[in-house]
This record gives sequence, C-alpha cells and structure tokens, in this order.
Amino acid sequence: MTRAVPLWLYSLSSLVLFFGVWQGVTVLGLVSPFVLPSPVTVAERAIAMMQRPFAGALLWEHAFSSFLRFLGGFGLAAAIGVPLGLMMGRFRLLDEMVTPVFEAYRYVAPLAWVPFAALWFGTGVGGAIMVIFTGAFAPCLINAYRGARLVDKHLIEAAQTHGASEFRIATEVLLPGALPSIVAGLRVSAGLGWQSLIGAELIVVSSGIGYVMIQGQSNLSPQTVITAMLVIGLIGLLIDVGLRGVETAVRRKWEGQ
Amino acid sequence: MSEIVIDKVSKIFGDGGAKPFVAIDGVDLRVEDREFISVVGPSGCGKTTLMRMVAGLETVSRGEIRVAGKPVTGPGPDRAVVFQQFALFPWKTVRENIVFGMRSRGASREERDEAVTYYLRLMKMEGTADKYPHQLSGGMQQRVAIARSYATDPGVLLMDEPFGALDAQTRTIMQEELVRVSKGNPRTVMFITHSVEEAVYLADRVVVMGRNPGHIREVIDVASTRQAERWSEEPIDDVMEKPSFTHLRGQVWRLLREQMGADV
Amino acid sequence: MMPTVAGAVPAKRNAWRPRVRRSVVTGVATIVALLVAWWLSTSVLGLVGPARFPSPEAFVAALQRIWTQGYAGGTLIEHVVQSVRLVFVGFLTAVAVGVPLGFLMGYDRRIEAFVNPVFLVLRPIPPLAWIPLAIVWFSLGDASKVFVIFVSAFVPSVINTYTGVRNVRKHLIEAALVHGASRGRVIREVYLPDASPMIFTGLRLSLQASWTTLVAAELVGAFLGLGRALQTAYRDVNTPMILVAMVAIAISGALTTILLARLEKRVIRWRAEA
Ligand SMILES: Nc1ncnc2c1ncn2[C@@H]1O[C@H](COP(=O)(O)OP(=O)(O)OP(=O)(O)O)[C@@H](O)[C@H]1O
Ligand SMILES: [Mg+2]
Repeated sequence: MTRAVPLWLYSLSSLVLFFGVWQGVTVLGLVSPFVLPSPVTVAERAIAMMQRPFAGALLWEHAFSSFLRFLGGFGLAAAIGVPLGLMMGRFRLLDEMVTPVFEAYRYVAPLAWVPFAALWFGTGVGGAIMVIFTGAFAPCLINAYRGARLVDKHLIEAAQTHGASEFRIATEVLLPGALPSIVAGLRVSAGLGWQSLIGAELIVVSSGIGYVMIQGQSNLSPQTVITAMLVIGLIGLLIDVGLRGVETAVRRKWEGQ
Repeated sequence: MSEIVIDKVSKIFGDGGAKPFVAIDGVDLRVEDREFISVVGPSGCGKTTLMRMVAGLETVSRGEIRVAGKPVTGPGPDRAVVFQQFALFPWKTVRENIVFGMRSRGASREERDEAVTYYLRLMKMEGTADKYPHQLSGGMQQRVAIARSYATDPGVLLMDEPFGALDAQTRTIMQEELVRVSKGNPRTVMFITHSVEEAVYLADRVVVMGRNPGHIREVIDVASTRQAERWSEEPIDDVMEKPSFTHLRGQVWRLLREQMGADV
Repeated sequence: MMPTVAGAVPAKRNAWRPRVRRSVVTGVATIVALLVAWWLSTSVLGLVGPARFPSPEAFVAALQRIWTQGYAGGTLIEHVVQSVRLVFVGFLTAVAVGVPLGFLMGYDRRIEAFVNPVFLVLRPIPPLAWIPLAIVWFSLGDASKVFVIFVSAFVPSVINTYTGVRNVRKHLIEAALVHGASRGRVIREVYLPDASPMIFTGLRLSLQASWTTLVAAELVGAFLGLGRALQTAYRDVNTPMILVAMVAIAISGALTTILLARLEKRVIRWRAEA
C-alpha cells in the first residue's frame, strides 16, 4: 500500500504553519509587539544579545554561568543520591530508615526550598546549587535504589565468598549492575535540575539566563524573554542528548545492545 | 453454508520492498462447511500467516480467499479467532468477555445471559462469571476464549495453537472437551497445532504443510476412519491406542520428518 | 496497636496483638529521632540559630498565627484553597486537552507527524521558563498561573497517553476485530482500557509538575496562595513561617496525589495485584 500523502509532508506543513501563523499575526498587527514579537524580531534580538551585553553580560556568558551552576548542583545530587540509593538497595535497615523521610521530602516542590537555600547559602552560587540539588536528587536516589534491588543476589554472594569487602561489592558489583538504571535516572534528574535552576534564577538569584528573562520581562521586552527561553531549551536539549548518548553507550556495553 | 476456499494464495512480506519474503506460495485448499481441519507443519512454514489471511488480519498478495462465497477483505465476526495467548480482555470479567462478540451483532440481554450460563456450564466453569481473567488458570482462560468465539456464532472458527500454552494434562482435557463442544455446535474449523496426536484426534482432515516457501504437502483424511470406528464415543487415551490411530499418526509423522530431513 | 521491638516478633501470632511490620517500626523510630534531634539542636542546645531554622515551638506559634490571624494576605486555609484551586484548573485543562491529543497522536500517524515537530520545538523549554512570558501576557493574576500550570501539565499528559496508545497490545485489537467490534468499540473497549495505566502515569507526572510550577509562579509574584506566603516569609526572614508554608505545600501536594491514586485504583480495578 502506498500513502496518498507522505508523512514528512505533514511534519513540514506543521512547522510552516506554526512559524507562518506566528509571523502572520505579528506582521498584520493582530497582536501587539509588546505581547508577542515576530520570529524575525526575536532572531534580531538574539543576534544583538550575542554582540552587546545585556544585564551585565553577553547572552552566552549568562548561559554559560547558568550551565556551570547546573553542573555543580547536578554533580552534588548524583554524588550523594546514587551512593545512598545503592546502599539503601543493599541494606534493609537503611532502606527502612530513609524511605519515610524521603517520601515526605518528595512532596515538597523543589522550588519551595528557595527561601531556605537563599538564607543558608546566599543568593549567589551557593543558593542556586542547593535548589538544583533538591530538584535533581530524587530520581538519582530512586533509580540507584531500584537498580541495586535488581542486581542478581547471586552476584553479591559470589563476591562475598571470594572475600570482597563492602566497598568492593558496592563499586564492583552494585554500581555496574545498577548502571543502566542509574543513567536513566540521571537523565530525568538533569531535566528537573536544569528547570529548578531556571526557577531559582527567576526568584532570587540575580544572574544567569533565568535572570535575563526577568530583566526582559520588566523591560517590557518579550523578544528578550523568548530569546532566553530558546537558549534555555537548547541547553536543556544538549544536556539531554549528551546523557542519552551515555545511556545508549552503557546499555550497549552492558546488555549487548 | 460456511465453506472456506483458498484459491492459489501467496503471501509475500515486504512485497515491492528491497527484501521481499515469500511466506506462502500458491496454496490451494477447500474446507467444507462444518468440516474440522487441522494444520501441521514445521515452524515458520506459514501456518499462522495462512490462518491470519483467512481471518482477514493479513492481506493476500496473490490469489483469493472466499468464505461462504464472499471474498475476504478484512476481519469479521463470521470468522472468529482463538489465539494461542488467549487474548482475553483483562479489564472485562468472564461474562463480559464471553458476550463481547455477541454484542457486535446486537444480541439482546436475555440472549446474552442465556449464552453465558450455557457456555459456562458447557466449559464446566459455573460460578466464575464475575471473575477477571487474571484470577483464572491458563486452562480456564483458554476455555473462556473458546466460549467467546463460539458465542459470537461464527460460521468459521480459526484456532492458532490454542492449547500450546497449556500443560499436558490440561491440554488432554481441553482436547476432549473441544470434541464434545464441536459435536454439539458443529462449525467450519481450521485448527493449527504442533502436536500430531492432537491434529489426528480432532480433525476430519489433516493438512501437512512444508516450508521454503510455505506450501501444502499433503492432505490426509481422518474422517472416514473416525466415523467407522466411532472415535468420538471413546475416551482420548483409548482412541490414541487404536492401530488405526497410530497408523494415521505415523503417516503424518513421516511427512513431517521428511521436512526436517530436507532442511539439514 | 502494640508496637513490638524489631526482630522480637513472636513466632506465634496472637489475635489480640496485631503484628507490626518491622519497616513501620524503623520508619516511625527514624522520624521520631529526627524530630527530637530538631528540638534538641534548636530549642535546647541552640546549635542552629532561629535565623537559619526555626525551633518546634516557633513553628507551632507560626502555624497558630497563620491559621487564626492570617499572614501575607490570607489565613492558611485561604492560601491552600487558592493554590489547590489553581492547580486543579490548570491541571484539568491540560488533561482535557493533552489526553485526547496524545490519544490521536498514538492512534493516527498523520496526526503524530503533524503535531510532533511543533512539540519538538516547544518541549525542551522547561515549564518554569514560561513564567516571565506568562506574566507579560496575563500579568500577575490567576490567569498567568493557570497558563504555566497548563504548559507544565500538558506535556506529560500528551507523551504518556501517546506512549500508552502506541503500546496497546496488538493481539487484543485483533481479538476485538475478529469478534466483530466496530471502530468505536475498539477504541472504547480496547485502546482506552489498555492505555489507561500509562495515561494515569501521565496524570501523576502532570499533577506533580503542576505543583512545582505553581509554587515557582507564586514565588515570582502573586497576591495570595502558598507560594506567596512562602515568598513573604522569606522577605521577612521569618523561618518558622517558611517552614509552615513548605509543610503546607507538601501536604496539599500529597493529598491531591492520593486523590488521584484513589481514582486510578477505581478505574483500573481489573489489574492483577502485583
Ligand atoms: N509480519 C511479517 N513480516 C515479515 N515476515 C513475516 C511476518 N510474519 C511472518 N513472517 C515470516 O513468515 C514465515 C511464516 O511465519 P508463520 O508465523 O506463519 O509461521 P508458523 O508456521 O505459524 O510458525 P510457528 O509454527 O513457529 O508458529 C516465517 O518465516 C516468518 O518469519
Ligand atoms: Mg504460528
């Protein structure tokens, strides 16, 4: 059977329609440029922000400083969440102790930590890192825990009978066994961490790409806001693509594709 | 009258693509109204494909299939299928599963209730009407699937290894029950199996298929022997010890063995 | 209930003495220990100053104050009602649009091909990044919150419904077709129920995202609501009130989640228990 219209034509027409309508309503003056600027205006604004500083820095400098913070908070969440999750999967007592506290913690929306983060670590890098941490922590822990629970008990016993220490069991049996699950968790947690950082920058942190948006908003410049949104989306996408690459690599190595 | 006519049918997967694969090549077969045929053949010879084409779940590449004189163009309740993996709806109770096909033809409430009672008694499953499939054993689930297909009242019943997932004892019981049920409700049946005993015990004719590409090797008549020796009045174990049965079984076996030999 | 010491559970079960699971005992013990440690470090030993973390007494006093006199423009109940209301409106609108859209995308490849590109452009933008634009469009009132909640809850609803429909078991569709089911019956009696576990997964994620977004949006600017209370408490450096607001947010989120889980259990009754 041959289709009357190939599928890619649907995809193409949808993009054309999307940008066409956007450009159309703005050019025809159906919406005010202070509400929705045209795609062309946004593109011009983006180029301008790459050449002239806005809110104290060039566009990519803002983006880069946000990204560095993200790495800090995300790294911290992984460094604490993954080992803790693995240990919870290994030791039942720890599991029973941490689980209720963790469940309670999970219901606190990450951004609700912003006030304490600001009071404890200031509104600079420290506070931002703590907010990223609270956003990214849960999936790190949960997936490491699940991964550890799925590790074949016989492998652990085999390691024990060969005299492996707990540290070696953790690093040489649990960690590799749980790795596919951990990496999947890291992907989720990176997304949440990145979005938490943007939230923190909107609320208290006065620098970074999120802060650019707030400045654009109060300057009544929606093109600045949309430019920043696109940059945020792009960085988020790059983070996800990078981790997806790691995920595929791990899966190929561990599960033979 | 629900006879199946398979008229020079071929099936080519990926026809027109880079790697076409001939699964069925020029199969000719006529199944009479209310005849029970079983289909055996080595794995991958196209039994399922042939049955799915009769069901209308797969298109025919060449030739034509007619049921009750009409060409098959898609699935329909005149050709109900019993699948190997039961395919009961997990979110429906036994009762709702049994009446699923009846509702397609707008059966009344009384008619449906009556059918549920009738089939549950026939399948020796009274008292399970309001259970969900996951609460039943494999054998019970398959009985419900068979009841669902019978209750739809199709002219043709298509069964693809319906007992393949059952343990040996349950399987024997199910075979006997199928004989009993089909005696009371004769239909045109196409029954696919891997078990030569099952094929010979159940069928009027056994169709032996071969592969590379899938074709019919031979059709062996069982009906005359069965009627002459009144198999359906005896327990399955006794039937299987009769010399006539072992003879027919040996005949099918040899045909299959040749297939395997041809492969090596 | 008579809690037994972990490990000392009698082998013979006594009818009058229900066995308490060891995990419950450990869990309760941990929480009690944490509460005691909190009390000791703040009230008794003064290791942590009130400007960093409140004492239990201050927490209770703040709770009393917001409950009776109100704080940041409303009593606790008023803040909770405002936030829950916004979450519900945004969440339900997102679900009402997202689930049907995801369903159509999973059901018809042409619709998928049409919607996907726009989705691919918009999806990487985190929902929170829509807040400034929402404020430009709708100013600081309810509409801007509902809008960003909609954006955040929409994506998981669409994606999970789509995945659920995509993974509807083919042999069940075939079983329906060979028993004469019409297209409408196949959709209602096969697609919907078989996709419903995934749809509910999507709803759960949507609800979670709704709360995250609401809190952020209210922190950025609002006149009433739990996020507004949190923001005011932060500006006043009122740590007891910060904690009250956080706990209220957690409890409200938990209650709506439990409500959804109840609904899920009712709808998916037929499922085998683990
Ligand atoms: N959708 C498909 N696309 C491509 N090839 C297929 C498809 N379905 C079946 N085939 C091929 O057609 C051949 C026949 O398959 P079929 O399932 O009909 O065999 P079968 O006789 O039922 O085997 P078995 O006894 O193992 O069930 C096989 O080689 C199979 O790989
Ligand atoms: Mg088969």
